[in-house]
Amino acid sequence: MVRKSINVEHLARIEGHGDIHLDIQDGMVSRCEFSVTEPARLFESMVRGRPFHEAPYIASRVCGICSASHTLTDILAIEDIFGVQVTDRTRALRELLVYGSFLQNHATHLFVFAAPDFLGHKSIFPVKEADPETFEGALALKGLGNELCTIVGGRSIHPITAVVGGFTSEPSAEEYLRLADELERMVDRALKSVDLFSGFDAVGLETAGDMLAMVEEGTYPVIGSDQALFVRSGQRFKADDYEAHIEEYAVGHSAAFLARMREGGRPYMAAALARVNASWGNLTEPARFAAAKAGLRPPELDPFANNVAQAVEVVDSLVRCAGICRKLAGDGYAGSSEPVAFEVRAGRGVGFTEAPRGALFHDLELDAAGRVVRASIITPTSQNIANLEADMRSLAQKLVEAGASADDIRLDVEKLVRAYDPCLSCSVH
Amino acid sequence: MIGVTEEMPRVVFAGFASCFGCQINITNIEKHLMDVLGQVDLRYWQLTSSDPMPEAFDVAVIEGAVTTEEARAAVQRLRDGAKAVITIGACAATAGIPGMSTDDHEADMDAVYGANVPHVVADGAIAPMAVKDVIQVDFEVPCCPIDPYDFVEVLQHALYGSNAYRRTSTLCGECKNNERGCFYGRDMLCLGLVTRAGCGARCPDLGRPCNGCAGFSPDANVEQARRVAERAGIGAAAFDGALRMFNQPIAVGEEG
Repeated sequence: MVRKSINVEHLARIEGHGDIHLDIQDGMVSRCEFSVTEPARLFESMVRGRPFHEAPYIASRVCGICSASHTLTDILAIEDIFGVQVTDRTRALRELLVYGSFLQNHATHLFVFAAPDFLGHKSIFPVKEADPETFEGALALKGLGNELCTIVGGRSIHPITAVVGGFTSEPSAEEYLRLADELERMVDRALKSVDLFSGFDAVGLETAGDMLAMVEEGTYPVIGSDQALFVRSGQRFKADDYEAHIEEYAVGHSAAFLARMREGGRPYMAAALARVNASWGNLTEPARFAAAKAGLRPPELDPFANNVAQAVEVVDSLVRCAGICRKLAGDGYAGSSEPVAFEVRAGRGVGFTEAPRGALFHDLELDAAGRVVRASIITPTSQNIANLEADMRSLAQKLVEAGASADDIRLDVEKLVRAYDPCLSCSVH
Repeated sequence: MIGVTEEMPRVVFAGFASCFGCQINITNIEKHLMDVLGQVDLRYWQLTSSDPMPEAFDVAVIEGAVTTEEARAAVQRLRDGAKAVITIGACAATAGIPGMSTDDHEADMDAVYGANVPHVVADGAIAPMAVKDVIQVDFEVPCCPIDPYDFVEVLQHALYGSNAYRRTSTLCGECKNNERGCFYGRDMLCLGLVTRAGCGARCPDLGRPCNGCAGFSPDANVEQARRVAERAGIGAAAFDGALRMFNQPIAVGEEG
């Protein structure tokens, strides 16, 4: 009997702590686990009893890398309970914050986490010497995402200004116009990064499960729609009913809950790739053309294509944000962003957004005094783990059959994990 | 690393129970990042590099609260191997947000996971602790999240041995400079009364009350602040409740 184990403890260049365990016995992958070892901080219990206005501020701390998404999704859940209708201007600012987070996260993931694998480095730092243009471009893109979040949210992570009903502070028209110019200037660089990532070799793999994304007729929605779609099966549902369609479950080797489709138990992927598959036709023109040039068209079922999908979304975000900024500067949205008045009342509400890594649900229950009674947070990464494990298994099996060495299997499996862009502190929370 | 010389101080980064935001924020000062990294030999930064952890180093930078026996041992190893230890962020300084579940940690765990707490969660779990309650900490970068420029400043202190100077006054004074008025009297609770200054009162300046993420100021008069909250019709209980987010009650007056 030939037995081989591949173990990676504390996998580097991902957000948070996770281990890979693979056992290969007589040419068959007998065990395949992605073990999330991130410490449980127990957000869902710590927010109980806290006043509603603190909840989004606390939820933001679920994750430093996608804090804008957690803040806004929690706010949406509370507004769902209170029946708050925000102005168009507030909606536009929220969209900017989500896209700012896309820029930050996708640039960080693509260049700091994923690219070194393909460029043959252990980190991004040697790229400064080896390929200064790529390095400078990467930092500039990430920097612009940070700037966008800082200007709208008050700082680059853990936004200050976003509250239930609106924003406590807003940038000036001049700042919006300056941002718009910078965003537009960055589009060429972003287009180059689509070429860079579509040029990297990938193994070629068909994902095991379905894909989940927010959808809305005629748009590429990231916040504001309450409709979710399982892309492969065509199952569509309202965010409020997520529990009827998504089943969370615990396994011993993961501090994060896993998720599967309630009907049929199939795993699924929530990611940029799912969004591109669901709403390809609604990408802005430069992003859609870049996707077409890169060969990224629905249905694209190779999870490695998530890297290219993120690069396409960077282009899309830049174009969209420039447009939003110009419209904000020209008072093109109805109403002000000052928080609207609302009545505190008891109830249950669900917030739903597309976080950088995919569909994010915050489910809150408040009492009549506006204190949190129950909270549940379902992050994209926790939804992805079961599907990631299934894909890891088929990738490893494929490589074993091709006679790959343990080192090569390990590297490709690490690349796959990074293509999923897991955010493990998010997933455990 | 590029341009590493033998004399360069060796720096390692380690993350425990946290949102990783403080480390992310350090990577968010793109323009200055390489200048900072040019001064140090970055031996281990799991967030950005797959190089393994070395045996010896000069400075250990720690983010996060200690919530497992494994983390407690790792923090101790970092202390043993480092000439200076810097903690970054509220989680490391006061147990921060994870510290909110300190009182009833096991019950909180059951509430989240139900009857089947995964073994990777249950094994070796301890109630959240600040890093300074586990080892001696030489330098602290406060706030949630840290201001990355504060980190650069503190790192300079650690590298070149200057004194660790920290503001002791409360946030209120800083806030007055911004001339934005006071939340008390507008039916809002603000923790600037007792929180350590240094951030420029960034949140109040953007229309948001202080949540106390920098921790207690050693000059804080907590009893008086409670009375202010009473007089403003907010109540001392609400004031104490708000403090729980970043400051466990036990820390009152202990901060130095």
